[in-house]
Amino acid sequence: MADAALNQGGSATQSNNPSKAFTVEDESALREALKRCSSAAVEAALQFRKTHDATHVPVVVIGVIERFVEPGLRPKLHAADDDLRMVEDLGIDSLTMMEIVILVEDVLQMQINNEELRNLRTVGDVKTFIDCKVRGLPPPKPTRHLPIEQIASVMPIQPPFLFLNEAAVNNQGAQGKYRISGQEFFLQGHFKDNPVMPASIMIEAIGQLAVLALLEGVIPVDEGKVVDPKTIFFTSCEGVRCHRICRPGDVLTLSVKPKRAKMPLATFEGSIRVGQEKAVIAEEITLTYGFMDAIVAPAVVAQTTAPIQAEEPKASAPVSAAAGA
Amino acid sequence: MRRSCFCCRLHPSVSTSRESLFSQRIMSKVFITGLGFITSIGNDTAAVTQNLRELRHGIEVYPPFQKPEIPVKVAAPVKGFQTDSYDCEDWTYPERYRVKREILRGMGPNALYAFCAMLQAVEDAKLTEADWSNDDTGLYAASGGSPFLLGNMMQRMHSQGVMRCSPLGIVAAIAGTVNFNLVAHFKIKGASTGFSSACASSAHGVGFAYDEIALGRQKRMFVVGAEDGNMDSILPFAGMRALSLQTDPNKASRPFDVARDGFVGTGGGTVLVLESEEEVARRGVKPYCEVAGWGQASDGYNVAISHPEGTGLRSAIQRALKSAQVEPSAVDYINAHGTSTPIGDISEAKAVRAVFSPSGSKPAISSTKALTGHGLSLAGAMETGFCALALRDGFIPGSANITTIDPACADLNIPLKTEARQAEVVLNNSSGFGGANVSLVLRRTR
Repeated sequence: MADAALNQGGSATQSNNPSKAFTVEDESALREALKRCSSAAVEAALQFRKTHDATHVPVVVIGVIERFVEPGLRPKLHAADDDLRMVEDLGIDSLTMMEIVILVEDVLQMQINNEELRNLRTVGDVKTFIDCKVRGLPPPKPTRHLPIEQIASVMPIQPPFLFLNEAAVNNQGAQGKYRISGQEFFLQGHFKDNPVMPASIMIEAIGQLAVLALLEGVIPVDEGKVVDPKTIFFTSCEGVRCHRICRPGDVLTLSVKPKRAKMPLATFEGSIRVGQEKAVIAEEITLTYGFMDAIVAPAVVAQTTAPIQAEEPKASAPVSAAAGA
Repeated sequence: MRRSCFCCRLHPSVSTSRESLFSQRIMSKVFITGLGFITSIGNDTAAVTQNLRELRHGIEVYPPFQKPEIPVKVAAPVKGFQTDSYDCEDWTYPERYRVKREILRGMGPNALYAFCAMLQAVEDAKLTEADWSNDDTGLYAASGGSPFLLGNMMQRMHSQGVMRCSPLGIVAAIAGTVNFNLVAHFKIKGASTGFSSACASSAHGVGFAYDEIALGRQKRMFVVGAEDGNMDSILPFAGMRALSLQTDPNKASRPFDVARDGFVGTGGGTVLVLESEEEVARRGVKPYCEVAGWGQASDGYNVAISHPEGTGLRSAIQRALKSAQVEPSAVDYINAHGTSTPIGDISEAKAVRAVFSPSGSKPAISSTKALTGHGLSLAGAMETGFCALALRDGFIPGSANITTIDPACADLNIPLKTEARQAEVVLNNSSGFGGANVSLVLRRTR
C-alpha cells in the first residue's frame, strides 16, 4: 500500500538514475535540506550524490539522526556506539523516526517503506539498513526482540527450568537477559544460607540461549525445513571458565554466536556478563539438532471454512532436556 | 447526588430562581480567574490593558500584502513572533518562552500563540500542574486551523509524494490543532473539544465551558481561541469582499463609522481560566469577574451574511440575559461583534436596539476590533478577556477610529473615547458564518 502510493505520487521527482547529473540546483536543495546538520554530514551527502560512493553513507545517517536528537543527548552519538538504542537512549519516538526517514530519503534519493522501519532499534541497525539499501543489497534480517511469553512459546525448555527473561536474535547470534530472583528452587540448597547461582546452571542458561538461536534461524537450514525443537540436545562444551560469583539480584547478560554448524551439530561460543564484569566464558558449546518440514502457513483466503491449526508447531512441543548440566 | 435534582429546574411547578439554584448548590457560579494574551495589541495583560485604555491599535501595513496583485494592504499581526516559515525550527518567539522541537513540530503558528498564552494564564491564575492536570479540569479551544501549513502540506503531497509529508503535518494544520496540542502538552484530563462556528467559535467555547462548571461536571475549564493571522488565514476573505481595502492603518478598522469598508485580519491566542465558586474559595484567588450566563441563537438565513434585522443575535442576547437573570437595563457595556463590515455592524445595531430600546436603556457599546482587527475564531475569547480586564480595572473601552458615525447607528450610545467608569454587567457578542450568534454575560465581582 505504502509503496503503491509512493510510486504514484512520488516517482516523478525520484532520480535514482545515476546518469542524471548532480546540478547546482540539486546542491543548493541538498544544502537547504541539511541546513541543521553538521558540515561533515553535508559534505558526505554531497560526495555521495556526486559519486554514489556508499562509504559516505554512515556519516550522512549519523548527521541526520543527530539533527533530530535533543541537544543534550547528542554527545552520546559521538561515542560512535552502534548499540545506542534509538528510543531508550536517544529519545527518538516513532514520529521522529519518520522525520529521520523522510530526510534520509530526500538526501540519499531512496525510498524506504514502513515495514522496513519497524525493526530498526539501534543506531547500528539504521546504519546497516541504509548501507544495504544504498548498495542495492537485501537488508539484513532484523534483530527480533522476544519477550518471555514468546520465548516460552518457542522453547522446549519451560519454567521453572528456563533461565531467560528476554532475548534478541539476529543473524550474528543472540543476546539474552536473566535476573536471578532468589526464588529459584536450587538456591535453597546451593549453598546453605549462602545462595549462589550454580556454575552448571549458568552453562545451562548459555545452552538455552543457543537453543533459542537455533530455533530462531541463526544457522542455515535446508529449503522447506525448520529446526525441530524435539531434536535438540546438549553434546559437549569446551573451554569453560567462571570468573564471578553470581547471586540473587544480579542480572546476567548472556550472549551466543554460532561458530560452525553442520547437521547434526551446531557449535556456539558463549558468555555471561553482569554489567561490565565477565562472569562465564564458554569457548564452545555444541548442540545436536535435526530438521522437520516447515509448515507453510496457508495463505489467508476470505471465508475459509476449516479452522486453521496452530501454525506454530514449536509452541506445543513437549518439554525435553537440552543442556545436561 | 444533588445534581439529579437539576431536572427540577425544567419543571414549571418548582420555583427555581437562579440564586436558589446557587444557594442549594444545584448550580455553581463561574468566575474568570486567569488570562493569557498573545494579540496584535499586546503579549500580556498589562500591555493589552494599556492599549485598550489608550485605544492604541495593532494594525500595520503588512509586508506580505505589498504586492500589486493583492488589493488588501493592512493587517494586525502579533508582534515579537516570526512564524512565516514552513519549518517551525525557523520560527522565533519571545525569550521567556521555551518550546521544544518535539512540541513545536505539531503546531501551527496559532497553537504556538495559544501555548504561550496558556503559560501566561496558568501563571496569572496561580495554578500548579496538580491543579490543572486532573479529571476536574478541561479545555475547549477554537481555531480555523492553519491554512498556511495545510496548503504547504498539500503542495508537498502533490509534488513530492504522499510519504514525504511531515508526519505531524495533519496535527499541526487541521482545525483542532489548538486543542490537540494544549490538551496533550498540558496533560489535561477532563473534558476537551474544539468549536468550529467560525467567528463565534471561541464564544461558544466560553458558553459551553460555563455550562460544564455550572452543571458541576468540571471545576475548571480553559477556553482558548487562536488563529495564525497570516496571509493564508486572512486573504481568502478578500474573495468574499469582506476585507478593508484601506491603506492607512489608522482608518482601516472603524466599526460603526459611515466609511467602514470591511474588516482587518488578525491572529494570536487568548486563554481564559474559568473556575467554580468552590475552587475560587478553596484557592483563595481574586477573580477578574463572573461569567453570569450566556445564550445562543441562529439566523437561519444565509451561509455568510448576517440577517439584515439581526434576529439571531437579538435572540441570543435575550437568552443570555434570561440565563443570567439580568434585566436589559442592568447592562452597562456591550463589547460588540462589530467587525467593521457595512452589513454586519448595522445588523448588530438593530439587534441591540431591539433588545434595549423597549426599556429605554442605553448601554455603552463599542467594538475593540477597531484596535485588534478581527480574530475570527480567536475573537470571542479575546474580547471576553478584554471585558474581564475592563470589569476588573473599572473602565469601558471606547470605539476607536470613528470620524463620522454611521447615521444608522447614531442613536446608540457609542463612546468614542475610553470611559473611566466601573461597569457592573457587560455583554460580549459574537457572530459567525451560517448565522451563529453567541452572547455572553459578565458581571463584576467585589
